[in-house]
Amino acid sequence: MIAEVGVNPEVEVVSRIEVDRSAEWVVTIYWASSIIWLLIASIAGLISSIKLHSPDFLGSYEWLTFGRIRPVHWDTAIYGFGGTAASGTLLWLQARLCQTRIPFAPLLIAGGVIFNLGVLLGAIGVLSGHSTGVEALEFPLWSMPLLVIPYVFIVIANFKMYFTRRSTHTYVSQWYLMAVTIWFPILILAAEACTNLGAVDGVAQAVANWWYGHNVVGLFATPTAVAAAYYLIPKVIGKPIHSYHLSLLGFWSNAIFYNWAGTHHLTGGPLPAWTITVGVVGSMMMFIPVITIGINHHMTMVGSFHHLKTSPTLRFAVMGSMIYTLASFQGSLESLRSHQEITHFTHYTIGHVHFGMYGFFAPLMFAMMYYAMPRLTGNEWSSARLIRIHFWCTLLGTLLYASAMCYAGIRQGFMMNDPTIPFLNIVSFTKPFLMLRTLAGLILLSGTIAFTINFWRIVQPHKLRFVTPTLLNTKRDYRILVEKEKELGT
Amino acid sequence: MFYVFVFIWAFAMLAGITMVWLLAWAIRNGEFTNLRQGARSIFDDLEPEGVVTDYFPGEAPLMKQLERRR
Repeated sequence: MIAEVGVNPEVEVVSRIEVDRSAEWVVTIYWASSIIWLLIASIAGLISSIKLHSPDFLGSYEWLTFGRIRPVHWDTAIYGFGGTAASGTLLWLQARLCQTRIPFAPLLIAGGVIFNLGVLLGAIGVLSGHSTGVEALEFPLWSMPLLVIPYVFIVIANFKMYFTRRSTHTYVSQWYLMAVTIWFPILILAAEACTNLGAVDGVAQAVANWWYGHNVVGLFATPTAVAAAYYLIPKVIGKPIHSYHLSLLGFWSNAIFYNWAGTHHLTGGPLPAWTITVGVVGSMMMFIPVITIGINHHMTMVGSFHHLKTSPTLRFAVMGSMIYTLASFQGSLESLRSHQEITHFTHYTIGHVHFGMYGFFAPLMFAMMYYAMPRLTGNEWSSARLIRIHFWCTLLGTLLYASAMCYAGIRQGFMMNDPTIPFLNIVSFTKPFLMLRTLAGLILLSGTIAFTINFWRIVQPHKLRFVTPTLLNTKRDYRILVEKEKELGT
Repeated sequence: MFYVFVFIWAFAMLAGITMVWLLAWAIRNGEFTNLRQGARSIFDDLEPEGVVTDYFPGEAPLMKQLERRR
């Protein structure tokens, strides 16, 4: 029975197991493709990274030049991995919180296929030299409808679930998920109109570009990951979140302030000063949602940290939540003009982006998959060792990447501000750190490979379907449960 | 380009109005009352409050938990 919140008596009672079964194919397809794209994005990132300290690496292939492979890395990471991982998360979480089956499953599966095709064609387009040159929107314009149309299916399914939900209460994660489905289509359509469709030119186009570039992280990836954290942390440890009041304050302050922050990317650019100031103020105001979310996640965990030893989901969720606080503080401070005088146009920014995406967003998506996949497929994860390898590679790889890039960036910034230092000396100084970055990329890729093997095994058809997976770990456990059930006549 | 601007502004206005309407709807609908119970709405019989629901494979104290629940 659901705790004492309102239910809509006119809506059919759907058990948790039925909800999960309805999501099995749809969500698995989205998440499986997200892992494939993560592998591709990681390899593309690794090639880009190697080229920064060894420029001749694969230098004879024009389709692998830095100007092509680097956008492929970013776009396959944000759309291929991020888009599909977040969509799968959105669908499963919404179905569970609404206590309803996932609607329009064939349409959503078709949408997943079309979306993947869009990312594939976009990546091929960029590799073959048809990049638009607009950061984060490099995919050729003709591939973008294949990314937008499937999202319409997700929006429709999301609203259908919400308006036919059994629980009348809107849990905080649902606020984030509903908001994402409203924000993201607006973001991408407006950004494409203002950049690749040419509604505005010059500096105004750069403003639109960075309004989008910042918000695709803050109003698409972040809300989905925060929604996942608000669900997973209390769910795994069996304890409600510390302050529900703060969680709602966090949502609404995020909704109000994040949208304004993008222009801090253009500090020092030929823009009116107030445009940058708006971005700085928006960034500083983000301390409000970040602090509220941070307090909630960390205080909920107080007294339950020992579960980190035993729960893979919790490890990734807590890692993501802690790095969310750190990366967000870093990001807000980074927007200040005094800070940017040193770190702008340096490796510091790259360190920050990866700290956020691989330290916060990706672990929360992994946490969601670790929690949901056994429940969706009825199978258990095949190897605890592979999970541990995945976790430690993700954590250590992210920390190495972020610390190497941020330290190198600060030193690089000070050196670039000193006109007596020749530019090539600065380049030589950063080279060992760029090698460390490649090493960090290799560590992260190793973790992804471990996860891929585990994921591949869990989606294999097994003869035995567990009723309550992850609590049941072996066939023997299952048999004992069946005998117990018979004894109790349940 | 004029129509693109009209489209962007119309869309932005629609988004803004939707968010304000959603906030008003939530207040009217009592979404911000009884928050303590709302925080517990994620628990159910199979994944109840007070029970840890995730372990590394092969490491869950399964039967003890099930017996305690019964």
